[in-house]
Amino acid sequence: MRARIKKFLDSGTLFVWFCGTAVAASLLLVGGVLLLIMVNGLGFFWPHALVDLTLTDGTHVLGELKGEEVIPYSETPAFPEGKTRVRLKVGNRDLYGLDFRWVDTDQIVSAESPKDVAAFERREWGNFYGRIREVSRGGDVVASGNQEGWKALQPLIEQANDLHEEIEHLQRDVIGDINYDIEETRLKIRELELSGQHEPQEVAELQTATKQLETQYEKHVATLRKLSRQLDEYAVILVETNGREKQLAVGQIVKALRPNDMGFVEKILRYFMNFWSVLSEEPREANTEGGIFPAIFGTVMMVLIMSVAVVPFGVLAAFYLREYARQGLIVRVIRIAVNNLAGVPSIVFGVFGLGFFVYAVGGTLDTLFYPEALPTPTFGTGGILWASFTLALLTVPVVIVSTEEGLSAVPREYREGSLALGATKFESMLRVILPCALPGILTGLILAVARATGEVAPLMLTGVVKLAPALPLDHHFPFLHFERKFMHLGFHIFDVGFQSPNVEAAKPMVYVTTLILVMVVIVLNLSAVALRNYMQKKFKASAV
Amino acid sequence: MNQADPTANQVETASPPAPSFPSKITSRTLRRWADHGARGVITLGGWATIFSIFGIFAYLFIEVAPLFYAASWSQGTSVHIDTSGEAPLENVSVGINEYREVGYVLRNGDISFYRFPSGTPIPLKSVPDFETGEITALARSPGKDHVYGLGTRIGRVMPLYVTFRVTFEDDVRKTEPVVTSGEPFEAAPTGEPVARLAYRETDSGPIAAVLTGSGRLFLTKMQESEAEGLFALETESELLQAEIIDEGVEALSVLLLDDLGETLLGGTKDGRLLYWDIQDIQSPRLMGMYSAGTSITALSYLIGDRSIVVGTEKGTVSVWMSVIDPDVGGDPRLEKIRDLASHNGAVSAVSPSLRDKGFLTADVSGGVALHHSTSDQTLIQIPGNGSAIVAAMFAPKTDGALVLDDSGRLITYHFENEHPESTFSSLFFPVLYEGYEEPLHIWQSTGGSDAFEPKFGLWPIMFGTLKGTIYAMLLATPLAVLGAIYTAMFMRPNIRAVVKPVVEIMAAFPTVVLGFLAGLWFAPLLEKIFPALVAMFLLIPLAVVLVCVGWQFLPSRLKGHSGNVTELAAFVVLLIGTVWVCLQLNHQVEFWLFDSDYKQWLQSTFGLAYDQRNALVIAFAMGMAVIPTIFSISEDSLSNVPPHLIAGSLALGATPWQTLTKLVIISASPGVFSALMIGLGRVVGETMIVLMATGNTPVMDMNLFNGFRTLSANIAVEMPEAPHGGTLYRLLFLAGLLLFVFTSIVNTLAEIVRQRLRARYSQF
Repeated sequence: MRARIKKFLDSGTLFVWFCGTAVAASLLLVGGVLLLIMVNGLGFFWPHALVDLTLTDGTHVLGELKGEEVIPYSETPAFPEGKTRVRLKVGNRDLYGLDFRWVDTDQIVSAESPKDVAAFERREWGNFYGRIREVSRGGDVVASGNQEGWKALQPLIEQANDLHEEIEHLQRDVIGDINYDIEETRLKIRELELSGQHEPQEVAELQTATKQLETQYEKHVATLRKLSRQLDEYAVILVETNGREKQLAVGQIVKALRPNDMGFVEKILRYFMNFWSVLSEEPREANTEGGIFPAIFGTVMMVLIMSVAVVPFGVLAAFYLREYARQGLIVRVIRIAVNNLAGVPSIVFGVFGLGFFVYAVGGTLDTLFYPEALPTPTFGTGGILWASFTLALLTVPVVIVSTEEGLSAVPREYREGSLALGATKFESMLRVILPCALPGILTGLILAVARATGEVAPLMLTGVVKLAPALPLDHHFPFLHFERKFMHLGFHIFDVGFQSPNVEAAKPMVYVTTLILVMVVIVLNLSAVALRNYMQKKFKASAV
Repeated sequence: MNQADPTANQVETASPPAPSFPSKITSRTLRRWADHGARGVITLGGWATIFSIFGIFAYLFIEVAPLFYAASWSQGTSVHIDTSGEAPLENVSVGINEYREVGYVLRNGDISFYRFPSGTPIPLKSVPDFETGEITALARSPGKDHVYGLGTRIGRVMPLYVTFRVTFEDDVRKTEPVVTSGEPFEAAPTGEPVARLAYRETDSGPIAAVLTGSGRLFLTKMQESEAEGLFALETESELLQAEIIDEGVEALSVLLLDDLGETLLGGTKDGRLLYWDIQDIQSPRLMGMYSAGTSITALSYLIGDRSIVVGTEKGTVSVWMSVIDPDVGGDPRLEKIRDLASHNGAVSAVSPSLRDKGFLTADVSGGVALHHSTSDQTLIQIPGNGSAIVAAMFAPKTDGALVLDDSGRLITYHFENEHPESTFSSLFFPVLYEGYEEPLHIWQSTGGSDAFEPKFGLWPIMFGTLKGTIYAMLLATPLAVLGAIYTAMFMRPNIRAVVKPVVEIMAAFPTVVLGFLAGLWFAPLLEKIFPALVAMFLLIPLAVVLVCVGWQFLPSRLKGHSGNVTELAAFVVLLIGTVWVCLQLNHQVEFWLFDSDYKQWLQSTFGLAYDQRNALVIAFAMGMAVIPTIFSISEDSLSNVPPHLIAGSLALGATPWQTLTKLVIISASPGVFSALMIGLGRVVGETMIVLMATGNTPVMDMNLFNGFRTLSANIAVEMPEAPHGGTLYRLLFLAGLLLFVFTSIVNTLAEIVRQRLRARYSQF
């Protein structure tokens, strides 16, 4: 027996099993995290059923069921075997104060899912769960009762949404344009004054233009006020499940749903509609509700600008190192330096970007080209250009290494063949080697983009904001506004998850953003892997 | 070929070639140019990229360097003021405004202004109506404003205010001085002349401490209270007065009041410091008497009124601090905390900075010195020319000074003194800060008021970085390295082709996502299931041993080859099963092991506090971030061990286990080492996870259950608020530089090891 035990221990099987468990643990970690994000992120769009619980004290609780847990033993010493409680999203923040509520299981008498309760998504205060008492217009009741009111409300909500769109258009496009023009004129006047040799007439003309713009502005603001009043025209009185009333303007409601009354197909349709609205809408309520469109847009813009900056430099450096430089100590040192750069923490790039791009370069640009706007900085503060450049520095090693890999995979015969046929070195680079190395360059670019998409720390110092007033791309000349601050998916996660006042209510939004970000990054990485495999296969085949 | 160029041009000008038949020479030249051009551009681009890599390091260094620059000085304008007709210069004070544009000399109730740097006198538009009577003493009330108390021959004290009115004309700043006087009050009821005076305006009214010519010390306060009058609030004032009768009073040479009007400090000619409690103005009480050695000639509080600068006749300059014993409580004690560079003669003036813990001292031989209390250094020492300095003021922006010597020379100095608070030792060694009992490492960069003493001890943050790194590596290393060994040595290649990329996907996870999950999902979860986690650490190894032994008895028909899917599935099921069991046992484990409340148990057994966002959470989150890095590189180096070596070992009769331990692991160990180094580099600089999943408190203990603050998170937290070019800004650059240097060393080491390993493998 002892001999068998010794043999078993000597065989090392036990150690192998520990190693195998380590692999399994790593795989489970990846799988677990992905599953967690998927479940929480994808579940967000589903119209959840509403449950009405009757409690032992006769009160009702209406909301979405969000989970069940055993109460920590320390809180319930009287029940050593543990007691459970359920967590509900009860909404109605303005009435209850909190969005979520714990209910002890032994307090629940019965649970139903009434078909006539509705979930109202509001512009403020989060969701309202309850029924309709009446719909009125300027004090006159239009429809009373839950059924009547529901029917009357649907077209009114649509109307209100149209109005909101109009107001949005007026505010953003029309009034926004006027503000933009006023600011431009102000800067022009200041520029003329600074130049010291201006005609008073010119300034006077500009001032009249400003006056005109201001009158226009007043006019549009008046229209805006009128439209806003129209929003308040219809009011609705809602009742929560215990009978407390809440009156609000129909304009406050984004959409109303009766999830318990919806069929499966309807729910699926609604699922995709919700998904689309998150992708395409502007955020509301300090980013915790609404959509994430500006964050997606900002991320994409930043990554594009970064790509334009990083590819030429990375490719040139790789070509130099692999094709032109004499291989020796210097190139070895440079390779080590490039590798080191890849290992430098991203926050250090942020610090460098802030000091060098924002303060040194941006500050100089401001004094040279934008003195009229000072002391308000134009380029001397964080912006999308500086953030992109910072990330370009961060990702340049990725492109260099990948391109080098691509170049080293090109068989030697190709080069020699091309040169032997009389092509110059540049021609064989351009016509033969570059096309062959293209997958490598592309792999590098994709990896760089994937890294840049997920990187947050350097952006926090170089120009990302929680809420950007304008996109970096619009119809004002020169269309691309490099100096503007922007929103970013990764920063959105940090900001909403950690800086919003109501973290619990914001969590679903964070999971959705996380899901989108992770999906983008994983798809990018997988495509890079696929491309690399393709490249390896292609040259293996051709080398034979 | 070079001669071809002119010919090419000639050919072209002589007869333009037909478009379908381009000149051979031209096209060849063009091609050559293109080739040269491309070589130039590529070389340039290559070098530009490489240059920028080194540029980053250089730039960080340039931004950090000014922190350690020595302060320097230069002399500005020197004006001779009219000293004729009067007795020696006494009872004088000088002052200068924020922009060092206007300075003044206040002397026996006369005030004259000068514009700097030109030094031209400014005529006063309106001179206040001074109360008649000769001025016999003068005291400056420290603080942002130029407030003086003037003591007269008949024992009265008159407040005097100097203000600077700033106007803008065509964007040009114009500063005009204005002098106003306040209501005089009787400070010595005996009507004797005021010999020594301390004057301070507090929130509840002005206070004056007066030593009369005959050596009696009186304390007077104009208590102001608001009372409801007939039409509006009226300010009523009441004169509170007391005489201090303590031994040594008659020997007082300097008096000092604090800004709350709660204590009076006196320095005597025989070198003693007397400290009175004057909270109840009518019954002052001597709290203590301390010896400073020789005759005290100058006293001043530093901003915040907690540190006291004491200058003596011998020229010594020391800083004292009032300390309240936290155990005993009671009266504050005075303690000398540091000595600074001495002067050659008696210290004649001390002027504190209005924005930091720096101060200026001047002596009777004309020497001026600039010190900083927190960093315990004397920044500037200007040698004297022999004429005693009678009054000095440190400029409000700490960038200069105005001094007056007894020959009537009024001199301005300019200081380059950007970062007085940072020295190597104040950053990396313990410092005795105001209000603390002993020297400590503290990072606390910003406080509520100007009087806050910034505490720039970098060690707590470096410690936090180490703490996070150690715990994360402790968790990640075994998982990643063991996993790599299994994947490289025992796994079937077809499974490996799936498993490796899956683990590597984890490397692509944005760290902000890991941070969010760690902070908002895992941290609260861990708080609930901590006992289950402890159980997992105990039960999983046990379960592995048991299942492994049991597995040996399974028919091989079921098991198949080792390293196949069945075996991997067995590991996964084993893990999931054990984790599930542990979660179910959560309450029971807490009951059995931790006395039914693990937080209390930790507190009472080890004295450890449990925070929700703690180092354990970080270990898991950062571990997840580096496992793929370490795993992937280790796996590469393990599976790159030349196969014929392994085959040889097996052929000689070694078991796979012997081959693994005696050959593979040993020859691949440099690769595993470099994997660990690269992983280390990644953990050290990780920002988002730490930022989101620790409390970011710069504490210094290795407690696994509380948070910490790392260099990287510190940059992210404080950089947005750090003013450009300030000390904090540069210190954060220093933090960045430290990270840069550390990761560079680690990565270079890893890269060199890897290159050597590659060279060694290629020999076989």
